[in-house]
Amino acid sequence: MNRTTTISSVVWIEMIRRKDVYVLLILLLALLFILMSLNVFGLGAVVGYVADIGLVFAWLFSVILCVSLTARQLPQEEAKGTIYPLLAKPITRAELVLGKWLGAWSASAACTLLFYAVILVVLRLRGGSLNVACLAQAVLLHLVALAIVGGCALLCSTRMTYGAAASVGYVVLAACFAVVPRVPELLMYERGASSTAMLGLYYALPHLELFDLRQRLVHDWGPAPWGVVGGVVLYGLLWAVIFITLSWMAYRNKRFKRGAMSA
Amino acid sequence: MSAALELVNLEVQFPARGEVVRALQGVSLQVNPGTVFGFLGPNGAGKTTTMHVLLGFVEPTSGSARIFGEDVSKSLARQRIGYLPEHPETYRFLTSRELLRMAGRLFGMGGESLRRRIDELLHMVNLEAAADRRIGTYSRGMMQRVGLAQALINDPDLVILDEPTGGLDPLGRMEVRSIIADLRTRGKTVFFSSHELSEVELVCDHIAILAAGRVVAQGAAQELVGPNERLEQFFLRVVQSVEART
Repeated sequence: MNRTTTISSVVWIEMIRRKDVYVLLILLLALLFILMSLNVFGLGAVVGYVADIGLVFAWLFSVILCVSLTARQLPQEEAKGTIYPLLAKPITRAELVLGKWLGAWSASAACTLLFYAVILVVLRLRGGSLNVACLAQAVLLHLVALAIVGGCALLCSTRMTYGAAASVGYVVLAACFAVVPRVPELLMYERGASSTAMLGLYYALPHLELFDLRQRLVHDWGPAPWGVVGGVVLYGLLWAVIFITLSWMAYRNKRFKRGAMSA
Repeated sequence: MSAALELVNLEVQFPARGEVVRALQGVSLQVNPGTVFGFLGPNGAGKTTTMHVLLGFVEPTSGSARIFGEDVSKSLARQRIGYLPEHPETYRFLTSRELLRMAGRLFGMGGESLRRRIDELLHMVNLEAAADRRIGTYSRGMMQRVGLAQALINDPDLVILDEPTGGLDPLGRMEVRSIIADLRTRGKTVFFSSHELSEVELVCDHIAILAAGRVVAQGAAQELVGPNERLEQFFLRVVQSVEART
């Protein structure tokens, strides 16, 4: 475990020194303040509107950060040749893969908490607040969703360059967020092979919409039953474990050729 | 006492553009503990592939590779190894002190002993003044030296160096030579490849020459090279005769 956390600590240092997170944080703040100051249709003053927009950006930025951070880890090591001195140490590939995922997930999770803190501060400035129990559930499920997002990006990165892994990761995650929840509706108009393919997609991809409690939070519907939240957490962890295991299987016997995976 | 390094009939083949490339063809070597072993060969001879097999990066098609009696496929075998790659690249966003701390932790080191070892190595490779500067700001020679320091963090019994003097100025080369000499004095085994035959002549007890994936000569440097011959002449003679045959 010590070796895994050592690998993940390097991911943290890299993220902090590359300054990606500062850019996203400043962008989030700027967007929120611009939206409030523009006051489109007089909505700038409405707390729910600010919370809604803020949470959309928090999701968007956290997913971007998680995918870009995770997808670049392994290809970058190979492209720069740093994988050689690293694997010459007594670490297994399982420890390497797990360490990279853990580092990218924990760093993205910490930034997501920061995004939520920014939203809360902005809401407080507007005199609003969010239901604490519901907020805790939303944050918890958001972090579990990031575990799946990171796992998916990691799996793509085991056999692709950084650019390709990030692109494929975004496409798959966009499908998970936007297409998979609509499959039951779409099936009403489809027959034959396309219907089977859609059904396959429905069961083969994780249902990330389950982790999104934005509406519940914005419209103050109160917390979801904790049993349901626990079930969703377990579902999310299962998907994360599946992705990490597949990543390890794809990476465990991989042969490296210096420069072959240029980022 | 088991050999520091033992390769038996090692074969490595891989597909490339529809053909099978035989990178190593029955390579057998034995390196005894405490020796400085020079691994020579022209470009593409298979030196780096051999090192990659030893480090478990490449799985051999057949044959076996052992380090201190332990199969190289096990991560435990790497506990006693230090490795410097041909073009040492490292995390440019870290300082050399941070890099060495990370390397030490991967070997299970920590606390005061790790701190002491880091200071010792930074002094050895003459990087004390730049220890808290990011590696991205280093010159090529400094990168080579920090690479060497991370290879020695665990005080390894076997040090594998791939072109350790590449990119170094004469002073840097002399420093590397003195580090290798110091390792020999302390009973460590050094296995290194180099194109700098004069360096090899100065520091190696034993040499092996690899050409077209085969070991074409190996033994004590003084025994292989004739009395009126330099290592460079011997190397060219051997390699050219192999190339003429293939």
